[in-house]
Amino acid sequence: MTLVRRVGTLLLAPALAVAIAVVISAVVMGLLGVSPVQVLKVMVDLGDTPSQQITAVVAILNRALPLFLAGLAVAIGFRMSLFNIGVEGQYRMATIMAATIGAAVALPAPLHIALIIVVAMAVGAIWAGIVAVLKVTRGVSEVISSIMLNFIALGLASYLLTGPFRGSPEGASIVSTAQIPESGRLGGLNGVFDVLGLANPPRQLYGFLLIAVVVGVVIWVLLQRTRFGFDLRATGLSPSAASASGVDARRMVVKTMLLSGAVAGLVGLPDLLGRTYEYSSDFTSGLGFLGIAVALLGRNNPGGIALAAILYAFLDRASVPLQSASLPSSVVTIIQGTIVLAVVVANEIAGRITRRAAERASRQSSGPPPDDSMTTRQVPGVVSEGTP
Amino acid sequence: MKAAALLLAGSMALAACASDEDTGSGSGGSGESSAAGGDLQIGLAYDTGGRGDKSFNDSAYAGVEAAIKDLGGEVTELTPNADASNRVDLLTQLADDGKNPVLAVGFAFADALAEVAPQYPDTQFAVVDSSVEGTGLDNVTGLLFAANEGSFLGGVAAALKSESGHIGFVGGVESPLIQEFEAGYVAGAQAAKPGIVIDRQYISPNGDFSGFSDPAKGKILAQGMFQGGADIVYHAAGGSGQGVFEAASEAGGRAIGVDSDQYETVGDPALQAVIMTSVLKRVDNAIQAYLTDYSEGSISGGTDEVNDLASGGVGLSTSGGQIDDIKTQIDDYTQKIISGDIEVPTTP
Amino acid sequence: MTESTPLAVELRGITKRFPGVVANSDIELRVARGEVHAIVGENGAGKSTLMKTLYGMHRPDEGQILVDGREVHLRSPNDAIAAGIGMVHQHFMLADNFTVLENIVLGSEPTKGGRLDRATARRRITEISDSYSLGLEPDALVEELGVGDRQRVEIAKVLYRGATILILDEPTAVLVPQEVDELFGNLAELKREGLTVIFISHKLDEVRKVADSITVIRRGTTVGTADPRTTTARQLAEMMVGAELPTPATRDSTVRETPVLRIDHLTVPGAPGSRAVVDDVSMTVREGEVVGIAGVEGNGQSELIDAVLGLRVPSAGTVVLGDEDITDWSTRQRREGGVGFIPEDRHRQGMLLEAPLWENRILGHQTRPPAVKGAFIDRKAAREDTARIMSEYDVRAPGPNTPAVALSGGNQQKLIVGREMSAHPRVLLAAHPTRGVDVGAQSVIWELLKDARAEGLGIVLVSADLEELIGLSDTLHVMLRGQLVATVDPRQVTPEELGGYMTGGHEATPAGAA
Repeated sequence: MTLVRRVGTLLLAPALAVAIAVVISAVVMGLLGVSPVQVLKVMVDLGDTPSQQITAVVAILNRALPLFLAGLAVAIGFRMSLFNIGVEGQYRMATIMAATIGAAVALPAPLHIALIIVVAMAVGAIWAGIVAVLKVTRGVSEVISSIMLNFIALGLASYLLTGPFRGSPEGASIVSTAQIPESGRLGGLNGVFDVLGLANPPRQLYGFLLIAVVVGVVIWVLLQRTRFGFDLRATGLSPSAASASGVDARRMVVKTMLLSGAVAGLVGLPDLLGRTYEYSSDFTSGLGFLGIAVALLGRNNPGGIALAAILYAFLDRASVPLQSASLPSSVVTIIQGTIVLAVVVANEIAGRITRRAAERASRQSSGPPPDDSMTTRQVPGVVSEGTP
Repeated sequence: MKAAALLLAGSMALAACASDEDTGSGSGGSGESSAAGGDLQIGLAYDTGGRGDKSFNDSAYAGVEAAIKDLGGEVTELTPNADASNRVDLLTQLADDGKNPVLAVGFAFADALAEVAPQYPDTQFAVVDSSVEGTGLDNVTGLLFAANEGSFLGGVAAALKSESGHIGFVGGVESPLIQEFEAGYVAGAQAAKPGIVIDRQYISPNGDFSGFSDPAKGKILAQGMFQGGADIVYHAAGGSGQGVFEAASEAGGRAIGVDSDQYETVGDPALQAVIMTSVLKRVDNAIQAYLTDYSEGSISGGTDEVNDLASGGVGLSTSGGQIDDIKTQIDDYTQKIISGDIEVPTTP
Repeated sequence: MTESTPLAVELRGITKRFPGVVANSDIELRVARGEVHAIVGENGAGKSTLMKTLYGMHRPDEGQILVDGREVHLRSPNDAIAAGIGMVHQHFMLADNFTVLENIVLGSEPTKGGRLDRATARRRITEISDSYSLGLEPDALVEELGVGDRQRVEIAKVLYRGATILILDEPTAVLVPQEVDELFGNLAELKREGLTVIFISHKLDEVRKVADSITVIRRGTTVGTADPRTTTARQLAEMMVGAELPTPATRDSTVRETPVLRIDHLTVPGAPGSRAVVDDVSMTVREGEVVGIAGVEGNGQSELIDAVLGLRVPSAGTVVLGDEDITDWSTRQRREGGVGFIPEDRHRQGMLLEAPLWENRILGHQTRPPAVKGAFIDRKAAREDTARIMSEYDVRAPGPNTPAVALSGGNQQKLIVGREMSAHPRVLLAAHPTRGVDVGAQSVIWELLKDARAEGLGIVLVSADLEELIGLSDTLHVMLRGQLVATVDPRQVTPEELGGYMTGGHEATPAGAA
């Protein structure tokens, strides 16, 4: 298979999903009396001045970062048919712990940041590990336990925030942890715009972008190129075949959940290290659930997830200019919602198309050339072997 | 199993984005109130939920509407997305579009303002419920409310009208802001009737804002209070208050609304009958006053406008006439608070 | 064959193309009324495509279908049923928790006032059961029935819908010899009542026993007809593959002295409260020896294999590989230690269907070269070695990147065999190694097993194909209810005798006595 065709089959399902979603959304918009063309125009218009345009790009990338990490965390589980619905709780616990410990210590900058990242990953992994332990020892479905742990995380984080971890003064409208000192913060990447000769708006591109790229590449290599990744994917494709091949299914569940949880622990860090420097009662929530949609859209592949996260962020950003142009911003929600459903349908269709193509190909290579069978065909009745 | 989980995941993701489903409807009104295009180009950034919440956001809009009526001009309204992660974008968009002043509804805009306001020194911002003193933002005005004072009167009314000597309080989210309501309510009730029993419950813990939009849970909490013997329940729970009214209606009890005059806004005669009074937080008055000041050029920025009983920024509603009989007592307490004889606490 | 009465079914020049491939070309088939007509051919020869055409599941691109001398156009199975054609699928399509009656009427329920008219249904089912000697109990739950009974329910279901022409797709594949005889009795009854049976099979001995006439399909087209009375199974098979055939028989013993696998008093517990699924089994496999295990499916063979592979934890007993006790080893350790595995259900235990062939090459060998280098997968080496296996073991597929699901069963199985052999195992656990593969692949696999045995490999062979067991085994155990109940000499025993031991009909000889 040529590279072009391989990429083609890889992109078939997401492209199909987006197309289905766009068509459905266009129909809905038509019914609402909104011009889809106008909506599209507003969506792709990033602003008038170079500074506004760069700000829009920064907004999209900053929004895409946590979505990408959440999608990645979900996808690691999906790859072995483990449904980690608990990314939400994992990143919440990880962020509050990382924020608190990050604010409590004083270290040189690189170490300080590394410590915060390690704490976040460890806490995420532990929170996910509970799910794994329940599954392998007691057979509790990870879907159920991870949803339950989301609720527990919500309550526990709230308790910790208003209790022992409180860093904001009594009576402040927003309760938060103490601020992480300068050495634990990640600077922005806006210097890149200067180097490229572009406008440099005040809005900072999160420095965590670099870390997320590294995480994405590492996860990709781990899943696609290592024995561990092979075992993980094999277990996802067929648990019975994997265990017959020597994979210890229970240990695999634990390892996968720990890995998924560790990545989930990073979800809150772009905001924490790049903007808020504290965990607070209005810290962005719901990213774990959006991660499910992003992982589905990206077909559980790190590259695809990155594209899906950017698409999601792009649509999110559009909701503000849409409102400004007196268009219903709910079209963004409609498009995102239909994409999620469409991707499930499209994956199925694309899977069938590629399978059929492959079957055809192997039939051609194993089956007889039609001409051959025509020439060697014996006409029944004329040559009837064994019939007197 | 796989398909089921996919569906589950899909529906949860949908649910995650669906909660701002109706935000778009709020934006359609931009400019409709005054197409004439007077002097004011007002930018209005709502709190999550947007216009149509029959509460906070609607009240803000009412203030803007009234100001436009007097002063002319038009308004552009923006609503944040479901997880409210784009508050900065909202303010940036409004400022970029040349709106001035830009009004931010809700204390959650504090961080976003700290980031955006310095970038637009020529734009005046106002934020509801958040103090700007000490933040160094000299083009932002804080519109504050003495919610504890209004709630104090609510507590007085509940205590005086309660026959069982047992009342309740349902808070939306256990945040400092809502705790102020609780503190005032409790203080007022105890002042009017020492020894009164007060049930106090919150729908969700701090950090989980679902408590403002969960009528079902609000109803359950209120039902518990009515069953336990309470006959009047005060809610400071935004949209969840609907559930409290329903519970009161079913239990034959009464309820106290919050923020706006909910007797007028609830829309259902059966529920209207149980709304004894509402603790008003006149966001509309505050905003209208701010806009008037702005048009007169008397806004300096960097200060807080405190709206309390003295300024008429908080108070009790009297629609339905259910508290007319205790008007003298209420007025009495009002005077004592204004004169400083009674100091209302802000924390329970 | 007289031409005076019209033929029950006649196909003229049927051609069916799928994009890029001709599945059937110019098929000619003439089935007389009241006969059992067998259609034989290798897997993948086009039998299924042909039967789907006849049952209206897809439409032919060319050619005519005549039923009772009249041309019909079948657009759906409903059309086929209306034309009197019914199909009994290889995999039964019955609802387990319904009764026989409910299953039979499902989809064409007689109703009275909107409710199921049980009395009418019961009367008709009893009629059908009596006139064709099917012996059905309308109120029995299907889940309580044996395989043979279920098949009779399927037949009754087709008859209930008024079929006069029955297509039976590989009906004996799931039956033990005694049940096969019963089925043939039923077919004789159907024939006596004037019904026509089209019988698809690749088991040539059975075909010769039951069919009145035979049509052979090879490479998508009909290559000839044969008279079962005068044609030998070997001649038929040669028509099927278009070449001469091998046999499973191996008579030169290559058994050496050194034991490679010793199983000692191995017991695997069943579900709580039930008896052990493997009950005190002891046996030894020596170098160059094939130890066969015969038994009706579900008597503990699968569990025994699983226990040796480390997939099930025994409650007692030991497994010794060479001279190392591996009872407590993990599956991976065992596989690294030289245990090869050909699973009974390759889709369940042997393949990642959606993964490409080269990844399937790695499966089960994740820790060993050539496909793996340290912690990393060596994709290039894996692809190369897959290509080698494909050419050495005659796996027909476009290339190592083809997903496994696209391959026919025989080619999948050859890949599995090639993969396992490439690791040079000391012991091979082969469960039904030729199940569901065509004659050509079957002979290739037999040859491979024989060669490996000659080189000193010890093989545990579980099979339902008694010919295969008798032909390949050096030692043959019979397993019944978790125990080894008999050991027979494969040189002496006949399939019928073996069937008797398997069902417990024969008096058991003490294990290890032969």
